[in-house]
Amino acid sequence: MSVKLTAKERMARLLAVIPWVVEQDGAPLDEISERFDYPRAQLVADLTEVVLFVGVYPFTPDSLIEVDITDDKVEIRYADWFSQPLRLTPEEGARLLTAGRSVLTLSEGDTDNAASALLRALTKLGMALGDGADQAVDVRLGDAPDAILDTLRKSVASGTQVALDYYTYGRDELTSRRVDPARIFSDHGNWYLHGFCHRAEAERVFRVDRIRDAHPTDDAIVHVLEGGGGSFTPSGDDPRIRLRLPADAAWVVEHYPTETAIVADDGSIDVTMAVTAVPWLERLLLRLGPTTEIIEAPLPLDANLVSAAAERTLRRYQR
Amino acid sequence: MDKLERLLNLAAALLNADRPLTADDLRDRIGGYPEAKATFRRAFERDKEDLRAMGLPIRVENVPGADPPIDGYRMRRADYTDAELRLEPDELAALHLATNLVRLDGVSDGIRKLGGSTGEAADEVANVPFDDALAVMIAATADRRAVTFTYNDVPRTVEPWRLSFSRGHWYLTGWDQIRDAERLYRVDRIAGSVKLGDAATRDVGEINDPSDLRGWELGDGEPVRARVRVDAVQAAHARHLLGSVEELPDGGVVVELDVRNPEAFRSFVLSFLDHAEVLEPPELRQSMIDWLEACR
Repeated sequence: MSVKLTAKERMARLLAVIPWVVEQDGAPLDEISERFDYPRAQLVADLTEVVLFVGVYPFTPDSLIEVDITDDKVEIRYADWFSQPLRLTPEEGARLLTAGRSVLTLSEGDTDNAASALLRALTKLGMALGDGADQAVDVRLGDAPDAILDTLRKSVASGTQVALDYYTYGRDELTSRRVDPARIFSDHGNWYLHGFCHRAEAERVFRVDRIRDAHPTDDAIVHVLEGGGGSFTPSGDDPRIRLRLPADAAWVVEHYPTETAIVADDGSIDVTMAVTAVPWLERLLLRLGPTTEIIEAPLPLDANLVSAAAERTLRRYQR
Repeated sequence: MDKLERLLNLAAALLNADRPLTADDLRDRIGGYPEAKATFRRAFERDKEDLRAMGLPIRVENVPGADPPIDGYRMRRADYTDAELRLEPDELAALHLATNLVRLDGVSDGIRKLGGSTGEAADEVANVPFDDALAVMIAATADRRAVTFTYNDVPRTVEPWRLSFSRGHWYLTGWDQIRDAERLYRVDRIAGSVKLGDAATRDVGEINDPSDLRGWELGDGEPVRARVRVDAVQAAHARHLLGSVEELPDGGVVVELDVRNPEAFRSFVLSFLDHAEVLEPPELRQSMIDWLEACR
């Protein structure tokens, strides 16, 4: 799976590898490769064919970096200029701070060693970033009720089924179902449960804030799921709709799983997306309004579905 | 000469310089650059940008004694490294684990500089959208600097107080220097890039938690109180989002919203399809009717 690194990417890695190897007094090739995500063959080539020739004018041997690889162990000497790690850019620091703070919200109240080490790391990082770092960023991974999240987490941990009352937003219905819970994750600010649904007899992803009630059970799970569970995976059988969006509706492309999006000269966007449920599409199209055009709505979709939904909703206002 | 070798030699030469070096000095000292002046200049500029993007602190100074003035370049060792920021192994491991649990685009460069990944892997628990503009704003907030950007077609200079991620969106709270008032912005509505400005002039004020605010509350002007009726089938959803104001005998519910942004309000009400109805005020009710008629 190793992708070829660009010269810039190799440079950035070497500037991190060199001070680390120097500080360790030498390190095994495999460990360096793993730690710095540096394909081993490329690492060896760069160390022996490039770094060895790096130095300053007039490039006499005493001004060059010394690299020695014996028995798969790397030693680096005389790398004076690069013997200290390069400082983080403020933007890199901001990314680390955000990731760390997000995780702290998961482990609130936790006093275990990992949480305290993270807290110490973030304090140091904050000092490097500036006085305002403490309150610079606040992340909420989702706003599902704690009691429900707690029940789900315990069920995942104990490998037992959970009984859900679930509101299916797309289809607009409330159902009860037994689920073998596999994983809980947050995506774009919502919590999701990935599991095997006994009612659907298939893998499903549930939005936790639409779980009205969750009850633990003593029944062991029947299906063990491996990984996966992206928040939305359209099936190949779902019908595809083609829309022409005005330029100011470009947000649709970011917020919905569009399969193709082609921007025309006038800024309008031609998108194709999978339709898993009709009410979902009605909502989207009603919100977008009359400036969005349906180009293609193959059966079983109805090209008139927006006007029908508008008509149905209007009726409420005419009583 | 390989580009990697040239970049490394350029960085070494800049760190080794005891005086600012001109581009020509550097060409002579490093080798590996094209001969022709124009192509050399382009290659040199690109290399310089590449190094800066990695965070190498290249300074531009006037070359002493040169007339007319000429740019010279060098790096100071004190700028190159941050001697204060050294993480203990358990701290680095915890931070690395955090970047595994929460996926943010572009987080691995920082981990590498701090000593690389520590082998402890974990399944991702959260995916938080992130981009360069956010990184710039968070860094500016930490360093108490202003930022400039365009929002609603208006250029703004804002002293950022906090970036908050809530319900899938990033919000910026800060002091708008031009409007001389506290403001809240949706980050994904910022058009174009965000640039770093001067040092902030006032202390961080009391921050109203934007996670308590909803799309329809984000706007200029006085809020209008709207009443919306939601049918029984979706009442639980509405209650969960907004809290109920009035429970109806048929299981439905009436909710109230303070509206500053009528478009966002309309979108929200339409998310209930025909299970919701704007009751008051008359102008928001009428605007919903007009919209639906246009959709017909």
